[in-house]
Amino acid sequence: MRTDAAGPGQAVDLTNCDKEPIHIPGGIQPHGVLLVLQEPTLTIRQVSENAQVLLGVPAQALLGTALEALLPTSQADSVRASLLSERLADNNPLKLSLQAHGQERFFNGIAHRHKGRLILELEPATEQEALPFFGFYHQARGSMSRLRDARDLRALCEEAVREVRRLTGFDRVIIYRFDADWNGQVLAEDRVEKADPYLGLHFPASDIPRQARELYTLNWLRIIPTVDYVPARMLGLPEEAALGPLDMSFCVLRSVSPIHLEYLHNMGAFASMSISLLEQGRLWGLISCTHVSGPKYVPYEVRTACEFVGEFMSSFLSTKEGQEDYDQRLRTRSVQARLLERMTRNLDFAEGLCHPPPELLELTGASGAAVYFNGKTTIVGAAPSDEQLQSLIRWLGERPEQREVFTTTFLSRDYPEAEGFKDVAAGLIAAPMSRGRHNYVLWFRPEVVQTVEWGGNPNKPVDLRDDQLRLHPRKSFALWQETVRGKSLPWKDYEVEAAEELRRNIIDIVLQRSEELLKLNTELERSNVELDSFAYAAGHDLKEPLRGIHNYTSLVLREEGGGLNPTNQKRMDTVVRLTQRMESLINSLLHYSQVGRTELSLRETDLNEVLSSVLELMKPRIDEAQVEVRVPSPLPPARCDRVRMAEVFTNLLTNAIKYNDKEKRWVEIGSASTPDGATAYYVRDNGIGIKPEYHDTVFRIFKRLHGRDKFGGGTGTGLTIVKRLIERHNGRIWLESQPGVGTTFFFTLGGEQTEPVATEDGT
Amino acid sequence: MKRASPILVVEDNDEDFDMLQMTFQRESIPNPLYRCTEGEEALEFLHQTGRYADPEKAPWPGLILLDLNLAGLDGRQVLEHVKNDPRLKSIPVLVFSTSGNPKDVQSAYAHGASGYLLKPVDLPRFERMIRLFKDFWLDHIVLPEGEGTRR
Repeated sequence: MRTDAAGPGQAVDLTNCDKEPIHIPGGIQPHGVLLVLQEPTLTIRQVSENAQVLLGVPAQALLGTALEALLPTSQADSVRASLLSERLADNNPLKLSLQAHGQERFFNGIAHRHKGRLILELEPATEQEALPFFGFYHQARGSMSRLRDARDLRALCEEAVREVRRLTGFDRVIIYRFDADWNGQVLAEDRVEKADPYLGLHFPASDIPRQARELYTLNWLRIIPTVDYVPARMLGLPEEAALGPLDMSFCVLRSVSPIHLEYLHNMGAFASMSISLLEQGRLWGLISCTHVSGPKYVPYEVRTACEFVGEFMSSFLSTKEGQEDYDQRLRTRSVQARLLERMTRNLDFAEGLCHPPPELLELTGASGAAVYFNGKTTIVGAAPSDEQLQSLIRWLGERPEQREVFTTTFLSRDYPEAEGFKDVAAGLIAAPMSRGRHNYVLWFRPEVVQTVEWGGNPNKPVDLRDDQLRLHPRKSFALWQETVRGKSLPWKDYEVEAAEELRRNIIDIVLQRSEELLKLNTELERSNVELDSFAYAAGHDLKEPLRGIHNYTSLVLREEGGGLNPTNQKRMDTVVRLTQRMESLINSLLHYSQVGRTELSLRETDLNEVLSSVLELMKPRIDEAQVEVRVPSPLPPARCDRVRMAEVFTNLLTNAIKYNDKEKRWVEIGSASTPDGATAYYVRDNGIGIKPEYHDTVFRIFKRLHGRDKFGGGTGTGLTIVKRLIERHNGRIWLESQPGVGTTFFFTLGGEQTEPVATEDGT
Repeated sequence: MKRASPILVVEDNDEDFDMLQMTFQRESIPNPLYRCTEGEEALEFLHQTGRYADPEKAPWPGLILLDLNLAGLDGRQVLEHVKNDPRLKSIPVLVFSTSGNPKDVQSAYAHGASGYLLKPVDLPRFERMIRLFKDFWLDHIVLPEGEGTRR
């Protein structure tokens, strides 16, 4: 794009922005004159075409002449000495007075060398406007100390915009900060009433193209006194053309891109100035000044003061920002400590992490979190749905280097499915808590578009006024929205560090827990073995005297039976019966203690076979009780221990037959689906039923619901043993019952074993 | 007529032994019963040492009924000892115990027991068991003769 051909109002193509060679525009802003001089003769080799207007001499006439021709003899020597000095900039501005159009005119001369050329820019000045040195010094000193004393970044920015506006008198001064992708946000603002507020607004990276940012890094300050200027072209000696276009990277008068002018125009600005803010050589942001009341020229001295404010502020950026983070870090630390304390205290550490919920979020400034531990998910705040989380975790598990904390502010770029839930999780921190097993703490941030403050009516993105398209913050916002779609606000360093720290804590705790568990298990195993032998020893020692009592009583009864009086006969009978009951109690207890001890032999089993062998064995009892056994459809197979399952069926069927007072008794064995899709087996009867208050207690050992001799008696261990057997299969048993109508016992057989159990065939 | 082999009963419980004796009488079992109450004592009996230095007091048993839970040296150790002694080895040992612990049963057979009888808490069953024992072990099984090999 040729700058000299482009004027304000011309249609511009924003996509060209990045390619435009803005450092060689071929023209300047016409409020000054630019001269290119040859050293050491100081011959004028190039000059801007507006020389006639400002200096009273046609540009063509100046080409090839020495600079001294322009100057009164009184100044010639000192100017020559200044311009040829090594430290050129130290003498800026050169105070020049020239005779133009018959009167004395004052100019500020700003000189610099670039790529072998000596460039002198002349800006008209009045003698009066030069600030007296001490006045400037006092002003500067005041503002410097205010900047230095600023509590944190926010205060620093607020101080700087006030200072720059006070120095320059611009209608609006803002501080604009770049994010990692060069989008920007307005952090501070000082303005007059009639200038629109920009505070908090975001702007897309495309607002300030790459090469403009490069120039901002080279130069501290740019000024456009009027956006409606017509650029003054550069004229040069014929031999100059061979040296290529003039690189104006360091020129104050450099003509700016017509796109930029258009942009300013759309913003309603008549004049603008911007000062770079750099942190460690990188462009951090801008102090941006705009004037909406009309054109505005800022004299060199004031600009220098502003530049100074910018430089001074830049030097404070890292410390003030650190200051701001310091408070945050401190807060994070105390949250961290509280979480740690709760995790250690709580048996279920995930529970400790998530209750009360806000702290886990506060730790990283997230709006949602999920703790996924050993197949259990706990959600805090706004998070993707269960299904979305499952596949996200699967994806995370498949990533290489999944041992480290993974962070992103643009999840859908790495994981396209995230597009579906970007409103809750465009940003993600994922802290893996163990190897192999996919356990994670996940923090989410929504797509940032929702968190933006609106600078006006968001439903009216384009503002048509006076038939002109004005690029307002609203429009700019829309552009920005386009650029950041799918992205969240960035995670700060200390937030990611907090996540890493938490991860380390969790791993420590989990490790510690598993060590404790191992110790407990060893202990438990030992005590189990002891208990086991205790149960047998106790059984033996109890049975021995019991047998004596039984046998002797039986003998007495046999030998003296006829001679005993009826009361004593009855008493002796009772002694015999009691010994038998005691023996069966001891046997049940021994049996129960064995259930948890013996190893299961798990294999894919046809439960129909198991059931039919059980029914075969129970046939005499079934026939005796005249019970109808129904199996409406074949049972699905399960991975289980067939001997134990036979015991389960036997016990449940025995109960079903036993606790039945109906004329026509039946038992139904079948299968059903649970709400979560698992298979449940059931044994249903039309028996006496169980009152709701006993639904849990029926499983308790030695708990019987009926008189000892009712319903054929029993020790009260059958259901306890069944429950234990089911639990050993990682299943669950429960019942539904209506007293007087019947009872259904349901049980599931868990598919997954917590520990591998060798099967008989060794698979 | 062949002389009935002596049976050594290792049993610490007086009532159990009493019942055993009574039932043997009831069933007219001719085999003489010898009783030791401790493991140590049983070994002395078998080796004819200590209390049983007089061979008359400790004839070679054709069969041993062994209770497992004994004070001191217990039945398991006695069994092990008998089955590890080349001379005693041939004597059938029937464990006669209250313990139905599968481990006990398993180890008894592993160490060479010839049978495992569970003491029932039920007189008729007990009597039936002894009857069956008599029928099988005393009337039909040929027990080893140990006299000749004895020192």
